[in-house]
Amino acid sequence: MSNSESIKRKVTPERIMLVTFLVVSAVFIIEPVIESYPDDARVFPQLTASAVFIGSLLLLLQNYLPGPLQKFVAESVSITTSDSSEVIDQVDDDDELEELDEPEEEYKKDTLGAKYGYEVNETVFMVSTAVLYFVVGWAAGFLFITPLYILGYTLWFRINPVISVGLAVGGTVVIYLFMTYLVLPFDQGHVFDFSPLVPMLFDGAPILLRGGL
Amino acid sequence: MAVDAFFEGLSIATTPEMLVWLTLGLLLGIVLGALPGIGSPVGMAIVLPLTLPLDATAAIILLVAIYSGAMFGGSISAILINAPGTESAAATTLDGYPMSQNGLAKNALAIATTASALNGFLAAIALILLSPVLIEVVLAFGSPEYFLLAILGISLITIVTQGSIVKGLVAGALGFMISTIGTAILSPRPRYTFGQFGLYEGIDFVAALIGMFAFAEMMKLAARKQISEGNVELAGSVRDGITTIFRYPVTTLKSGLIGMGIGMVPGSGATTSTFVAYAEEARSSTKDGRFGEGDPRGVIAPEAANNPTVSGSLIPTLSFGIPGSGSTAVLLGGILMHGLQPGPVLFGEQLQITYALFISLFLGNVLILAVGLTLIPYASKITELNTTLIIPMVVVLSYAGAYTLNQNWWDVGAVIVLGVLGFYMVRNNYSIIAFVLGIVLGPIAEENFFRSLQISGGEYTIFFDPINRPLSFLLTLAIFLILFGPFLKGRVKRLVSRN
Repeated sequence: MSNSESIKRKVTPERIMLVTFLVVSAVFIIEPVIESYPDDARVFPQLTASAVFIGSLLLLLQNYLPGPLQKFVAESVSITTSDSSEVIDQVDDDDELEELDEPEEEYKKDTLGAKYGYEVNETVFMVSTAVLYFVVGWAAGFLFITPLYILGYTLWFRINPVISVGLAVGGTVVIYLFMTYLVLPFDQGHVFDFSPLVPMLFDGAPILLRGGL
Repeated sequence: MAVDAFFEGLSIATTPEMLVWLTLGLLLGIVLGALPGIGSPVGMAIVLPLTLPLDATAAIILLVAIYSGAMFGGSISAILINAPGTESAAATTLDGYPMSQNGLAKNALAIATTASALNGFLAAIALILLSPVLIEVVLAFGSPEYFLLAILGISLITIVTQGSIVKGLVAGALGFMISTIGTAILSPRPRYTFGQFGLYEGIDFVAALIGMFAFAEMMKLAARKQISEGNVELAGSVRDGITTIFRYPVTTLKSGLIGMGIGMVPGSGATTSTFVAYAEEARSSTKDGRFGEGDPRGVIAPEAANNPTVSGSLIPTLSFGIPGSGSTAVLLGGILMHGLQPGPVLFGEQLQITYALFISLFLGNVLILAVGLTLIPYASKITELNTTLIIPMVVVLSYAGAYTLNQNWWDVGAVIVLGVLGFYMVRNNYSIIAFVLGIVLGPIAEENFFRSLQISGGEYTIFFDPINRPLSFLLTLAIFLILFGPFLKGRVKRLVSRN
C-alpha cells in the first residue's frame, strides 16, 4: 500500500469531524482572551470548549493512549452493562474504521443522471441540491426557486412529471402562505429582485382562470 | 391549589380549539410515525416553528399529540412492511411482521392500537395522580441543582445510549458550546459573532433541532430505498385483535408499568422501554411462548409500553427540563420557545397548563383508539409513499420554518451545517440527543451556573457541599458514579478478589 493510500484510509469522516471540533473549540477558548470578554461572558463557554477540546483530542489519539485511559475513551458502557471487559476495539485497525463509515444500506436509485452515465451518490446529491437551493433562494427569493428545486430534485429521481409538477406547485403554495400569513420576504432575493412579478403570477392567476373559463 | 388548577386545566383541554389541535396532532403523528425515516422527532421539529402564532398551550398540546400519535403510527409500518416508522417500534417488528405474514395483519394492528391506547390512557391517569408529589420534589431544587441536573441529564443519555462516554460528553459539551454564540446571558456582550450582526441572537435552538432531526434524517433517507415497493395485503380480524389484549391483562399492565418507569428515567426513551418490555415478556413466557414467530404477546408487550413511556418521559421534561429522547428534546424546545419554563413555574403558577397537557394526553389516547381502529383498513396506503417525494418537501418546510423563527438567514444556514454534522455524528455513534440537549439547555445551565457562583461568592464547593446543599452533593455524586462507576466497579472487583 502506498503512502498516499495509507493517508487516504486514515482520513475518515470521524477524524475530520474531530479535527473540526478541536479547531472550533480552540477558537472558543482563545477568542475571549483576545477580545477581553468579561468573566460572566467567558467562563462557561471556555469550560465547555475545554471539555470538547480534551474529549476530541482523546478520541483522536485513542490508539496511542496508555491502557486504562484508552479503555476509558473507547469503552462502551451502559447502566445495564457493568462488566468492564466489554471493550469495543473499534479503532484497532483502519479496516474497521472504514467499515464504520460504510452506509447501513447501499441502494442505487434510478436517476436521470444514471441514464446518461452519471453516477451520483444520493446523499451527496441531496445535500448539494439543498445547499444550492439555499444559496440561490437567498439570492433570488425562495418563492421563485422552490418550484425549480422540487422539480429538479424529483425529476432527477425520475418521478412521474405530473406528480413532480403537483409537488412543485404544492411547495410553492406553502412558501406563498408563509410569505402572506407570516409576512416573510420570500419573494425578495438579496441579489436579484423578482418581487414585482408576484402580483402578476399569484394575484393575476384567479383573473386569468376566470378569463379562461 | 392543585384541584383548582386541575379543573382549570380540564376546561382548557376540552375547549373545541384544543380538541381540534389534539386531533390534528394525532392524525399528523400517526402518518409521520408510519413513515420510516420520518418519525416523531422529525415531524415535531418541522411543525415546531409553525406553532409560533399559536397560544403556548395549544402549541404544546399539538406537539404532544404528534408524539403520542407517532408512537402508534410507528407500529403500522413495523407490522406491515417490517420497517419500524419510529425507533421505538423496532421491537414490534419481531412478532408484528411474522403475524402479518401469517395472515393476521389486522389482528396485529388492532392489538397495537388497543394496547397503545389503553395503557397510554392509564398512564395519563397515573401522571395526573402523581403530579402533587412532583410539585413538592420540583420546589426543592435551586440554581446549583438545576445546573447539575443538566449535566446529569447529558451523563445519563451518554450511558443509556450505550456508546463511548467520552463521545457522549463531547457531544453534550459541544451543544453547550454552540449555545453560547450570540449575546451573553448575564452581560450585553456579543460572543463569537466575528462581526456578523446575524449571529448576535445566536443560533436558535429550534433551527438546531430542525437540522439535527429533519435535515440529518433526510440525508439518511436519501440513500434508502422506497418505503414499500409492493402491495401490502391486509388480512385478519380487527375484533379478534382487540379481544386478544384482554386475554393477556398481566402482560398489558406489566408492560405499561415498565414503559412508564423507564420513561421517567432522564435519557431513556421508548426504544429502551419497548425492548425491555418485550424481553421481560419473552423471559416470563418461556413455556408456551413462540416469540419471533408471530406471538401476539410479542406485539402487546412493546405496544403496551410505548405510550406510557410518553407519559413517563414528560415527568423529567416538565419538572426538570431534562428530556429523555429526541421527541421530548423537541417538546422541551417548544416549551421554551413559547416562553414556558420547565420546573417550579410549570408546577406552580402555570400548573393549569401542565394539567391541560396531561388531560390532553388522556383524551388523545381515547382518540388514538377511535382513529387507529378506523384507519386499519387504509393503513397500507401510508407505507406506499415514495421517499423521494418527502425529501424536497421536508427541506422546503425546514428552511421556511427556520427562517420564520427570527427572520435570520444564519438559522437556515445552521439547519444545513448542523444537519450534516448530525448525520456524521449518528454514523459514528455520537449521541445527537446529548448534543441537542446541550443546545436547548445551554442558556438555562449557564444562567444557573452563574447564579450558583453568585450565591457562593465564586466558590465551586456549592456544587458538592454535603452539609449546606445535600441535594447538590447527591447530584454531583450521581454524575460521578454514572460516568466513572462502570470503570471503578471493575477495579473494586479485582481488588476484592485479590484480597
